Amino acid sequence: MNVPIRALSLATTIFWILLVSFIAVSAFSLKDLNFSLDEPKFTVTADGKLLFSLPLSIENRGYCDLKDFQLTVFFDTTGRIISAGKSCVPIIQRGKSLTLLHNATLSIDDIAKSAEHYLFNDANLTAQVTAGLTFADFVPAQISTNFTFSWGAPLYNFSAGQIDVAQFNATHSLVSLPISFENHAAFDLEGTMRIVLFDSADSLVGESQTRFQAEQHALCHERLEFYVPLSAGSLAAAQRGHCNVYFSTALFEYGPLVIHYG
Amino acid sequence: MAEKKKSSNIIKEVSFRIAKATTKAILVYLMYFLLAPLLAPLFELVPGVMESIEAFVAVYITLMIISDVAARTIFEHIFRTARAVFFMGYLILSLGNGVISTSYQNFSLTLDLKAFTAIALSLSLLNVATAILQVINFLNSKAEADSDTSSSQ
Repeated sequence: MNVPIRALSLATTIFWILLVSFIAVSAFSLKDLNFSLDEPKFTVTADGKLLFSLPLSIENRGYCDLKDFQLTVFFDTTGRIISAGKSCVPIIQRGKSLTLLHNATLSIDDIAKSAEHYLFNDANLTAQVTAGLTFADFVPAQISTNFTFSWGAPLYNFSAGQIDVAQFNATHSLVSLPISFENHAAFDLEGTMRIVLFDSADSLVGESQTRFQAEQHALCHERLEFYVPLSAGSLAAAQRGHCNVYFSTALFEYGPLVIHYG
Repeated sequence: MAEKKKSSNIIKEVSFRIAKATTKAILVYLMYFLLAPLLAPLFELVPGVMESIEAFVAVYITLMIISDVAARTIFEHIFRTARAVFFMGYLILSLGNGVISTSYQNFSLTLDLKAFTAIALSLSLLNVATAILQVINFLNSKAEADSDTSSSQ
């Protein structure tokens, strides 16, 4: 019985040595694995979406190949996922470096729908980055992290001044509305603004549409003037009421923004 | 005179066992000493694991020394079995379900060591089985020796 026991003992020892050596080599390889994330960039695509590009460099100087590398980025606004993108690399061989440009598209419409304050207030967007890989064909691993990106509101500090309704002639009145906002977004803003005017009795007084343009980080200050069919008799009722403002740009649609006056 | 020679032999044998146990313990500690820096980058990610491994190595070496000093007695095999069981228990306690999650700065790392845990547990189970077989073999040899002695008388 001594010989089989010794053989069993020897075999177990050899397997232990192999296992410990493998762990040592894997750990040593893990030390020589470098990940670096460069500065992410936002650009606007032709179809009116924001393209998020995250350059990721992977340097595998270890002794083991990395397989099934997957990078997933989720964008999150107040707990709601508004965009998810996935990039895969089947194999990163030992001694090789790789630069991966991970792209994810963001719809400003979705951001605005998730919370309209993203249009008017600067905030932070959370990106959850998850990288999964199989290390040395044996150990699946996952690294995850969170990044926050500052979100610049396209209609930051939007304000409308006092609406002035003055008689222009016997049949029409001139409505003037001063508006101002700052475009804090990472893109130029160009579109139309539609204003629908209601009097104190909620009756439609008139409406107008105007084009507006605001470059990145620029202040937009405009006085909108339009004529409405108001006679002297009905002018008094139009001195108080509200107007609905609708924004239409290539990137988003928003409205109504209700502004009371009078 | 014969008694004096016998006691001298016992002292010699015990000294030899102690020397053997010390050499083995030094070799095991040397192995740990050489491997620990290699594994340190991995272990640094999991807080407290290095201290736990140090404690494990201390207990393992102690059990090894005791079993070597008590060589050719039943205690040698008892301590060997205890060492194998301790090893398996440590593996189960430290690796749990085989998924290790840790955080480093803003990053969280999850390692799926299920395959490794399965292999390590199988090998340690084999170690326990070998130790038990050695106990059975020792008791069997002793019984055979006793029966030979009684039959010759």
